[in-house]
Amino acid sequence: MIPTVLIISFVVFFIIQLPPGDYVSSYIAKMSAEGEIFTQEMIDEMRAEYGLDRPWYIQYFYWMMDILFHGDFGYSFSYLRPVWDVIMDRLGLTIAVSLITMAFTYLVSLPIGIYSANHQYSVGDYLFTFIGFLGMAAPNFLLAIILMYASYVWTGTPYIGLFSQEMLQNGIHLYNFGEFLKRLIIPVIVIGTSGTCGVIRTVRAQMLDEQSKQYTLTARAKGVSERKITYKYCLRAAINPVVSGLSNSLSSIFTGSTISAIVMNLAIQGPVLYTALKNQDMYLAGTILLVQAVLIVIGTLLSDIALGLLDPRIRFEQQKED
Amino acid sequence: MDRRTEDRVPVVQVKNLTIDIPMDEGVLTPVRGVSFSIHEGETLGLVGESGCGKSLTSKAILGINDKKCRTGGEILFSEADHVLDLLKLKYGSEEIRKIRGERASMIFQEPMVAFHPMYTIGAQINECTRLHITSDKVKSKEITLDMMKRVGIANAEKRYDQYPHEFSGGMLQRALIAMALVCRPALLIADEPTTALDVTIQAQILELMKSLQKEFDMSILFITHDLGVVANMCDRVAVMYLGKIVEEASVREIYKNPKHPYTKGLIGSVHKVGTHNQSKLFSIDGTVPLALNLPKRCGFYERCSSRIEGVCNRLEPGRTMLDDDHSVNCFLYDKENIHG
Ligand SMILES: Nc1ncnc2c1ncn2[C@@H]1O[C@H](COP(=O)(O)OP(=O)(O)OP(=O)(O)O)[C@@H](O)[C@H]1O
Ligand code: SF4
Ligand SMILES: [Mg+2]
Repeated sequence: MIPTVLIISFVVFFIIQLPPGDYVSSYIAKMSAEGEIFTQEMIDEMRAEYGLDRPWYIQYFYWMMDILFHGDFGYSFSYLRPVWDVIMDRLGLTIAVSLITMAFTYLVSLPIGIYSANHQYSVGDYLFTFIGFLGMAAPNFLLAIILMYASYVWTGTPYIGLFSQEMLQNGIHLYNFGEFLKRLIIPVIVIGTSGTCGVIRTVRAQMLDEQSKQYTLTARAKGVSERKITYKYCLRAAINPVVSGLSNSLSSIFTGSTISAIVMNLAIQGPVLYTALKNQDMYLAGTILLVQAVLIVIGTLLSDIALGLLDPRIRFEQQKED
Repeated sequence: MDRRTEDRVPVVQVKNLTIDIPMDEGVLTPVRGVSFSIHEGETLGLVGESGCGKSLTSKAILGINDKKCRTGGEILFSEADHVLDLLKLKYGSEEIRKIRGERASMIFQEPMVAFHPMYTIGAQINECTRLHITSDKVKSKEITLDMMKRVGIANAEKRYDQYPHEFSGGMLQRALIAMALVCRPALLIADEPTTALDVTIQAQILELMKSLQKEFDMSILFITHDLGVVANMCDRVAVMYLGKIVEEASVREIYKNPKHPYTKGLIGSVHKVGTHNQSKLFSIDGTVPLALNLPKRCGFYERCSSRIEGVCNRLEPGRTMLDDDHSVNCFLYDKENIHG
């Protein structure tokens, strides 16, 4: 596991520095556009200050050393603060939004998937399929804009961002928590529905597959009720791929949905990564990607453990390997 | 086996059973008016080529065919004091579920996939016990374990907590039999129960079924490809072709005195090849047509070497009783209708 993470970190760093130029050049370009004039000495001096004058693998080496021995993830050029502080700023909110949208996704799509499978080719099945594909095909940002517009027309308040002006000044307290929850609705729907269709299709296909299995027939032949067949027999086996899908969720919980977050002005991690990549703020981008990689590895481990708990066959394989 | 069948009550009577399956290309009719009855303690063999409708017919008795299948006719099931038409019961209703597993149960061709892989064997057999006999945990486990021992599962206490993948095919078939018989049903439907097993294991399973049948005094509907197994297991045989029963008689009669050209072909091919080569058993020329938009004529017409032109391709033969215990659907024996 640790070698995997180290290799990933190396690749990540390599790719981030690939585009021509570095933070200093993109900074100079921006400033020059605004009329500032820089001499070559000033530029070289800035590079030296940030350590950007050394070859990239040396930079990587020092970055890794700092992480491993000092827990220091480097410095963000654009925020002018330590990378870890920048990430921590938004961590709580990102996790909150992500977990709520995830819960939304599964609460909506599991029952619909089961219903669609049990009523294959019924009106309801077609309707959900239609809505599901619509949700998948329509870009998220479009849905976000439509919902924000609709909410403005209906309520008169522009629900943009998670905090109102007032909250930004006074912070979140009990009295304005309701308002905060209201502001969560649109982001949760927008980000949540993007995953919903996929989960519905997976659950539906899996459930249909299970229903044609011999053991479902055996259960029916011994007098088990249809309801119990659905939940005890089919769903139990159908849930496996959904659980494996969860392993990717851990890292998306950490970043959140980038484009929708930008459109809706959500103060979560995704947009930070986006601007960091754009400005070649390499330690910030590198750290976010690294954390994501670590989370994917951990997520895979967790879902393996969960699958082992769910499925005796996998449990046996795992025991044999030990 | 020498007890006279006509003295006893039929456990189940299938009368003019039809099954339609709506498809995109039209309505498939894989079962086209099947009738037979099985008496108490008797084994009826149902034989016929792949796709002739054996499984659909047998699953119709328990009402476990796909929801899209439309059934017609009657399936009369004898209870202690009344007779029940199983086809009248609603799909998945409580009434039919009380029959399933308790009064009539089924074992399948592939024991390896007949159990859910994520629950223990014991739990799955016990589910049947708890559904139909007692909800008392201790008692039902006792009953389940007792049944597992009876079907010859050694070390039953330990195996109770094992999963299907820890069982061999033969042991799984024993477990499946235990599950089917734990409620002492009046009827056991065995859909090619040994086809997927080794020859030696096959023999063991068949012996087990015979001894349990005697012990529990139950009837068996035995579906198979293997005419050798039929001779060993059955009292009577119904030969099925293209969704119809074309001949029915006692085992001895069928072997000695087959009447229908299709049955003759079957018996002939067994004698030619020997008894234990399953793949060659049905080596009659031609294939079974698909039961879609069938013309009005004898279903066997295209493959029949004794066909009567002008009759067999215009009309469908009905049932002719040759004697009390031997019936056949073929114009060769139906002199009245040929000209009528
Ligand atoms: N669910 C279904 N949908 C469509 N067609 C079906 C379905 N089930 C069975 N059939 C068709 O009905 C016919 C009879 O099927 P059935 O399973 O009863 O055959 P069988 O006699 O048991 O054959 P085998 O010896 O191969 O088990 C076949 O042609 C099959 O293709
Ligand atoms: S009815 Fe005619 S075609 Fe059909 S089996 Fe008899 S002889 Fe052959
Ligand atoms: Mg079959």
